[in-house]
Amino acid sequence: MFARRRFAVLKNLLEYVGIEPGRLHFSWISSAEATKFQETVLAVTEAVKALGPAKHMIKDIRKVA
Amino acid sequence: MSTTQEIAAQIREAAKRLLSEGKVDCVIGFAQGTVPMRDYPYFAYTPEEAENLTWSRFCCNNLSNFLIRRPKGEKDKVAIVAQGCVSRNIVGLIKENQITRDQVYILGVASPGMVDRNKVQALFPLKTITEVIEDGDDLIVKGMGFEERVPTKTVLRQNCYTCVMRNPVIKDEMIGEESALTHGGNIDKVAAPWEKLGPEERWAAFQEEFKDCIRCYACRDACPLCYCHVCFVDEARPQWCGKTQEEADVATFHILRAFHCAGRCTDCGACESACPVGIKMRKLTSKIEKDIRELYGYTPGMDLKSTPPLSVYKPNDPQEFIK
Amino acid sequence: MADKILAKDKLGEFLGKLKKDRQVFGPQNVEGKAQWAPLEADETLLWEFANTHLSPKDFFFPQTECMMRFVNQASDEQGMIMQAEPELPQPRALVNIRPCDAKAMQVLDLIFVQDQMTNDFYWRDKREKTLLVGLACNDPCPTCFCTSMNCGPHSTTGLDALMVDLGDKLLLTTLTDKAQALAEGLPDASKADLAKAAELKKAAEKSIASNVGMDKVNARELMELYELPMWNRVHESCLNCGTCTYCCPTCHCFDIQDEVQGTIGRRVRNWDNCMSWLFTVHGTGHNPRGTKKDRVRQRFMHKFKYIPMKRGGEIGCVGCGRCVLLCPVNIDVRRLVNDMNA
Repeated sequence: MFARRRFAVLKNLLEYVGIEPGRLHFSWISSAEATKFQETVLAVTEAVKALGPAKHMIKDIRKVA
Repeated sequence: MSTTQEIAAQIREAAKRLLSEGKVDCVIGFAQGTVPMRDYPYFAYTPEEAENLTWSRFCCNNLSNFLIRRPKGEKDKVAIVAQGCVSRNIVGLIKENQITRDQVYILGVASPGMVDRNKVQALFPLKTITEVIEDGDDLIVKGMGFEERVPTKTVLRQNCYTCVMRNPVIKDEMIGEESALTHGGNIDKVAAPWEKLGPEERWAAFQEEFKDCIRCYACRDACPLCYCHVCFVDEARPQWCGKTQEEADVATFHILRAFHCAGRCTDCGACESACPVGIKMRKLTSKIEKDIRELYGYTPGMDLKSTPPLSVYKPNDPQEFIK
Repeated sequence: MADKILAKDKLGEFLGKLKKDRQVFGPQNVEGKAQWAPLEADETLLWEFANTHLSPKDFFFPQTECMMRFVNQASDEQGMIMQAEPELPQPRALVNIRPCDAKAMQVLDLIFVQDQMTNDFYWRDKREKTLLVGLACNDPCPTCFCTSMNCGPHSTTGLDALMVDLGDKLLLTTLTDKAQALAEGLPDASKADLAKAAELKKAAEKSIASNVGMDKVNARELMELYELPMWNRVHESCLNCGTCTYCCPTCHCFDIQDEVQGTIGRRVRNWDNCMSWLFTVHGTGHNPRGTKKDRVRQRFMHKFKYIPMKRGGEIGCVGCGRCVLLCPVNIDVRRLVNDMNA
């Protein structure tokens, strides 16, 4: 419950700096809700894949100096 | 309304009195700087040293930063000169159990609004400023080969324009009179400037603002909220944040530091004043302060009773973003 | 060593000659501040400025530098072999570098290139390939104190050539073999030109108002300076940030780390600063400089006592004044060293 507020602030902050909405997802899932967990993971994976490779907050040590 | 020189004299009197009566061991205030527009934190332990205390529109550090982790002695009690935002930080520190109320004797002052030295310098690009004097509503700026008059209200720090509380919210003694609460600026008009931009432009604006960061951590070290014994950037196992100057590392540091100050930051501007390369990190932190106000109706540090917003929850907190 | 005259309308030709074989950098107006940048259009090169915001040490000692790369997998053909980063591909020239900064680079030479064991290739390669063409200060600013630090506004130490602005023309003095080619085709300086330059030098040195005494600092025993009561007060306002260290042209501490992503890795060197509590933390957790007092004292003892002791009298400061201007709490090195010298 306390985390809810932190999620809200964090999500807004990350979207504010330009991380695309759709890269960050939240869901309440209890350990007893296996089906919901599976469905959510699949949905999030699809959504993020659709956005393509992340362009921001990437540190690729091959590329940088 | 008293001038800053008059306030300075009253601060000196109060400090001398408190020290000679043994009420406090030290008075934390400001002394005149050796370079223009930068008065600096000064610790007066005797009435003679209290003569060096001053007050001006160049007092851009947040003195509450120096209250933390003072050696705890039986008699260790300090007096501190605090204007609105600084007093709100003192409230914050008491709430977070970093200091106790009876450890500090607060000499409250109404903030006149502090000058942003970078703005003044920007009026004279590449020129060397040798002296800046307050003269009524103006500043007289002297330099190598020039002398100009600049209206002070055009070169204040950004956060001072949108100040919500110029008077101290907590004090033991008031120096000078209280003033009008705000400078008149509306924070909602200027907070979170990147909200108007699309996602790609936001990232570009973010990178542009922080591109000069040299990872000196002056912003963190000047901030009264940053008092962790081991800051997250100093952790090695695991290393959360790289130490390089590369985009992702710089971004990680600033995003996380801003987030750690969520619900606690009083917009005192010490971070921007400390930054040696002039980064306006408030463009980032103002978004969080806006969210905290709009989502949870909270303004940090206004009173000792209210609970910090990220330490509580309400059953009807917004959660449409959670699936 | 040749004294030549470079007419101001011949600057384009002069810079063009430099640009033929070297990548040229100079101080330019970047967002209202004098900052080092690649020189494209000659008109953007600054001639009237105090000094650059940050020092040019970044050219030889980048803030983030990859030292070598490796593949962290024994089975890979390239695995477990450290591959050195390539050398600087093209020689460079830094034009209009101030004498204090040039001297600072020479002070750093004493640290980075000492003997067979201490011979920093990364530093040396860049230094050898860079030509330093200095611009003397005719109007030193109030925070400069180079004359107290074995340097001066017209000092030639560490430079390949020095230019003095005589008003309508420049006096170009070549100082090293590397710079001889610059003198080609230029008319000799007259006695009057040299006299004018000497006059400007004297005036500049005289105008430096900040005086920092070092005589007692040099004479006193190390422990006497170490135990001075002033250290109990100096550290109080220090924020322990890295501003002074990072803007200083002679500060040189660094931190080496290996960064690994999957099977590829690199060894990277970043600037570090002794103001950070983390700087001296041992693996055991013990910290010999655990208090702010220890760290602040260390900075000034290192620059003004230990370095002179270990490097034959060379001071770890050139008096550029950047730390005085940028310290968020106005800890003024001039005042501090004078207190050490009291």
